[in-house]
Amino acid sequence: MSASAFEAFLARIYVDSNARARFEADPFAEASHAGLSPEECAAIMKIDWVGLKLATRSFAKKRHAKALSTRPSLRARAQDFLHGMLGFLR
Amino acid sequence: MSARKDRVGLGWRPDLAASILEYLDSIDLLEVIADDFFDGSRRERRALKTLSSQIPVVLHGVGLGLAGCESVQTKILDKMARLFDEVRPEFWSEHLAFVRAGGFEIGHLAAPPRTAQNVEAAAENLCRATSVVGSKPLMENIATLLDPPGSTLSEPAWVSAILEAVDCNSLLDLHNVYANALNHGYDAREFLKEIPISRVCAIHIAGGQLISAPDGTTRLLDDHLHDVPDPVFDLLEEIAARSPHPLTVILERDGAYPPMSQLLAQIQRARLCLERGRARHTASKARVA
Repeated sequence: MSASAFEAFLARIYVDSNARARFEADPFAEASHAGLSPEECAAIMKIDWVGLKLATRSFAKKRHAKALSTRPSLRARAQDFLHGMLGFLR
Repeated sequence: MSARKDRVGLGWRPDLAASILEYLDSIDLLEVIADDFFDGSRRERRALKTLSSQIPVVLHGVGLGLAGCESVQTKILDKMARLFDEVRPEFWSEHLAFVRAGGFEIGHLAAPPRTAQNVEAAAENLCRATSVVGSKPLMENIATLLDPPGSTLSEPAWVSAILEAVDCNSLLDLHNVYANALNHGYDAREFLKEIPISRVCAIHIAGGQLISAPDGTTRLLDDHLHDVPDPVFDLLEEIAARSPHPLTVILERDGAYPPMSQLLAQIQRARLCLERGRARHTASKARVA
């Protein structure tokens, strides 16, 4: 296992409420199912559960706000595409 | 020490635009969220360029996730490089955070487990970002409600190790230091003593609110929706008393906007804190001499 796999596991339980529910119900099973090593499973089982609840709530609010506010205009997307094509041709 | 002086500015937000332009003389510089302009129209980007000709502008990124173990996304890095080229800011900054991993977009800044392996990965990302953008970013410490599990390094040791690994300077967010100290039970002043003060070039100040946790305790949420609290101003004075460099201070406010006079009063108070800190710095140097 690697640090990037550990981060990926954290990202999943921050974002995916089903994965988080499974992790809360049986932390060791969910972590080892994701391929974390016994040491990593032991480390993640020491997670601050209260902090996890508050942080995931805060992340969800931010994702919701971002989804509402970031819709690039068709024109901006077209400019972006053109710029990318010009860069490619150069 | 350069002839440049300490400066205090404000985060540019569209809701504040009219007031900022009205009081431009009272603000030393503006910090613009780079990501807001990545997909902006030509007109919006031209407006930003015009703004940068009227007042010093710095760019602040929020979406690169440079302290993650995954390689930073080329597409976003290219957008930052393009905007940097267009605006030519005094500097740009990003966060010591990861924002995505394993195909999941967290949607906000998250603290990675603080390990030696992570320091190495963050250093690689920072080198790549520097090479693509053509300028080294200042790196900002983040606020966390959750201390990352699996960490083997303290936060100041981790921050210092990354800055040293890439010879990079710091944007020190004092409200984040204050919030983490409250949330994770350490002394904010001790944190300041443990980071390399000579690398601190810029400062963020902001306010947040205490939120109730399910176990009946409270934690401080860094929401940027409230005035800067007194302890953050105290930390600013402390930094000014120790820093050998001119400092660029930015007041961040992301919503629940008060009248502009209230924001200008906080900018003015930050200037006074810097002056008091500098006076202490001078006095302590005189004592040593």
